Amino acid sequence: MKKVAIFFTALIGLVACEKNPPAKTTDLRAYAVETVGKITTVRNLPCDTIIGTNAQGQPYGAGKYSFFSLETGQWIPNVDSNTNRWDLAFSGTIIRVNNQTSGPGFGGAFVYSGAFDALTAVPTDSVFRVDNHPISYAITRGSGKAWYTYDGPTNLLTPIPGRTLVIKTASGKYAKVEILNYYRGGTTPSATAADSIKIRDQRFFHFRYTYQGNGSLQF
Amino acid sequence: MQRFCFLISFLALNLSLFAQADSLRSLEEVVVTATRQERRMGNVAIPVQLIQKKQVLEAGSLRLRDILQEQTGLQLTSSFGTGVQLQGLNPEHTLILLDGQPLVGRTSGVLDLSRISLIGIKRIEIVKGPSSSLYGSEAMAGVINLISEPFKGPSIETSLRYGVADPDRGWGVPFSKSSFQQLDATVQTSFSVKKWNIIQSYNFLYTEGISFRPYSTDRIPRPIHRLTHQTAFQKQIGERGDFRLLFRFNQDQIKQEFSVRNNGLVIDSYGRELNQEFNIQPTYTHRFSNRLRLHSRGYFTRYSGDQQLRFIQKPDSLYLDRFEQRLIRIEEQLDLKKGNADFVIGAGLQWEQAWSTRYDALTNRKQNEVVYAFAQWEQPLFEKLISVIGFRYDENRLFAGAFTPKWALRFNPSSKLSFHASVGQGFKAPDFRQLYLNFTNNAAGGYSVFGAQDALRVINQLQRNGQIAELKNDFYLLQSLQPEQSTGINLGVEWKGFQKMQTQFNVFRNDIESLIDVRQVATRVDGSQLFSYINVNRAFTQGAEINISLQPSSQWNLQWGYQWLQTGDKEEWQRVKKGLEYIRDASGASVVMSRIDYVGLPNRSKHQAQFKLRYQPAEGSFLYLRLIYRSRWTIANSNGNGVHDLQDEHAAGFVQANISGGVTLSSVLQLQAGIDNLFNYQDLNYMPNFQGRTVYLTLRHHINQQKNRK
Repeated sequence: MKKVAIFFTALIGLVACEKNPPAKTTDLRAYAVETVGKITTVRNLPCDTIIGTNAQGQPYGAGKYSFFSLETGQWIPNVDSNTNRWDLAFSGTIIRVNNQTSGPGFGGAFVYSGAFDALTAVPTDSVFRVDNHPISYAITRGSGKAWYTYDGPTNLLTPIPGRTLVIKTASGKYAKVEILNYYRGGTTPSATAADSIKIRDQRFFHFRYTYQGNGSLQF
Repeated sequence: MQRFCFLISFLALNLSLFAQADSLRSLEEVVVTATRQERRMGNVAIPVQLIQKKQVLEAGSLRLRDILQEQTGLQLTSSFGTGVQLQGLNPEHTLILLDGQPLVGRTSGVLDLSRISLIGIKRIEIVKGPSSSLYGSEAMAGVINLISEPFKGPSIETSLRYGVADPDRGWGVPFSKSSFQQLDATVQTSFSVKKWNIIQSYNFLYTEGISFRPYSTDRIPRPIHRLTHQTAFQKQIGERGDFRLLFRFNQDQIKQEFSVRNNGLVIDSYGRELNQEFNIQPTYTHRFSNRLRLHSRGYFTRYSGDQQLRFIQKPDSLYLDRFEQRLIRIEEQLDLKKGNADFVIGAGLQWEQAWSTRYDALTNRKQNEVVYAFAQWEQPLFEKLISVIGFRYDENRLFAGAFTPKWALRFNPSSKLSFHASVGQGFKAPDFRQLYLNFTNNAAGGYSVFGAQDALRVINQLQRNGQIAELKNDFYLLQSLQPEQSTGINLGVEWKGFQKMQTQFNVFRNDIESLIDVRQVATRVDGSQLFSYINVNRAFTQGAEINISLQPSSQWNLQWGYQWLQTGDKEEWQRVKKGLEYIRDASGASVVMSRIDYVGLPNRSKHQAQFKLRYQPAEGSFLYLRLIYRSRWTIANSNGNGVHDLQDEHAAGFVQANISGGVTLSSVLQLQAGIDNLFNYQDLNYMPNFQGRTVYLTLRHHINQQKNRK
């Protein structure tokens, strides 16, 4: 069994924050990628993590995306946002695909209800949706709609088990993605955890995927 | 004043203290709730549990919650006060009665059992299974009926109890400021004035620190003053008539000071709560003959709850909450014997009104009227088989009428063995909250809940103003609410194996239709969620209950009880069976949920058991140990799949032990001591109103004339 582990630590100065207190999140752009057989698992990918709260107590991020290439298994710098180098872009609960209003690629996506492992091939009659930023996205936003539920009283976001994102990459290849967790460390804070912890640790994506590089529909 | 002279004369008399009640003779006890008529428990065809005053006193129970938590198959809940689940149904589906008339003043469907003092109560009857055929709305899971004490000759009874708890340090220090103090005082007198027999009871309870906020690890010393007064007037009118007037008043004063942490901000607040409750019940029974009786009953009750919350940092901000409910009822009931058949026929009228700041405006009165009629036919079919058929019709001004039948059979093949089977329907009309609630919580995410009656209007208005970002699919299901309905089946067997052993076994199944659920119906532009009530769920509860009582000698008495419970939402259960629901494995990957993983309805323990051991070394003294076990229960869905499974947030199971003992100091004086919650079990998150270990001492003084006459 071939086992590749890549570990990145990147310090990025994307976040301009003259007015806000120094963002503690900048040194958190540490993510891990591990490939076992056909499945690549990405952990702790920060996706516009929280840099402060507004007067109403609502947390906000810098409004930037984290671009990711399913083909290379790497985070892609923001300067390459207008290229085919990335397949998925994450920012909070938004996941964008590289097509139309989001990028120059041939990307698309739809949500398959069923286990990741059970999806062995993309059904031939599949229709891939595209983004129409900011009105709609191929992967619909909103609690209970595509890949997550959000609970108002506890302020917790949980990926729905049994939802698989079927992705067409920027170059028109296929991949399947399962979002595993939304919090740093891969564990959702308990319902009773302090709001400060829930805010600090959110927007860290954990997902696994299988990429089919030969263009076929089989995984 | 000469009437009171007996009090003095008593002190000189040599009286025995407590009447001996033999729990093994319970089949001979008379109960009224099951059939609305006096019946020996051994002749009732539906499951009835009976708690006598003696048991309440020996267990050191002060409030209804204390004694109910020690009963098989009853599970207490901890939100909006202490509620009780019967056969796995929610607290809102159990009717709580005082002498057959309903207590009102529920918050979010829960009638706080801590509110109800046990003074002046002779016994508690718990009927399991749908009982709407006799009692109407809310009796879906069953009925808990508190029976007030009848006049039994002049007497005076006083008791004083002091208790102390310190959940953090384990043992409380008496009279120390850092420990939680508890004081309970009771006076009960029975006397006669001009042929009026009068029983007066007073109870005062002061308690600290028994209530904690859910989802907070802060323990709040929360002084509560509870005051209960009950007076019963009884008079025989002529040869054939009996008049009885029951008056009960209850008041809770609760003071709280606590801090709320929100996004790093600490808000200190200061709260006052005042709850008051009146019950007035005049009853006149006329015996036309041995075969014909007429009961005329009136009932008036009023509950009001006032809460004030002030934020210390912002003195001008004031949160006010007021709820007031009134219920007026008149009822006639005819008991008729014809041949060997017994008939009960009754009819009544009920007016119900409520005012609340939780509705659109405090000044807008919400009201409902109900007209109802019921009948019951009890017929011995053969020598050993009894059939009871009953039904009731409730005509409701706000909803469609509800017809609820019930049929019960009891078969006694021998004096030691009996079988019973019953099938019945229950219903619960939507309550005022589900119709009219208009509540926005600005503290927790700004969500709002609207009653079904207002939801469409309010949301349409918001939409015209461009304040709605999105309408959920459930919005299109909004319509006028229908009553919730259930069908329950109970099958049981009772066996007196040998003289000193008694076994009861019962299996049950409840199918619930059009259960009302809170669903998100829309999202505001600012992202806050709007909820309302919809009839959506179809659910079931099923299980088995066993009670074994054993008396190896006159000194020892053992009781063991166990309930196994399974619940579920029917749609969810179908999806689980088809393999359409998912959970995550240890690595976080999705896998199909197995049937074993499915939990069903939250807040219910699958296993519940209790064990009671009573030792009586000599007349007048006792040692009484009770162990209560509840297995884990699920709190909320936390893994995103929308159904409750073993991976979800849950409370750990627990064993609670209560122990008490008493000795007779003199003919009129008894000393009792006890420890509640011996193991100091606590769960601040999920059982916030669960008391820490409490040590108490009670002195009881009791004199009566009756014994003297013997």
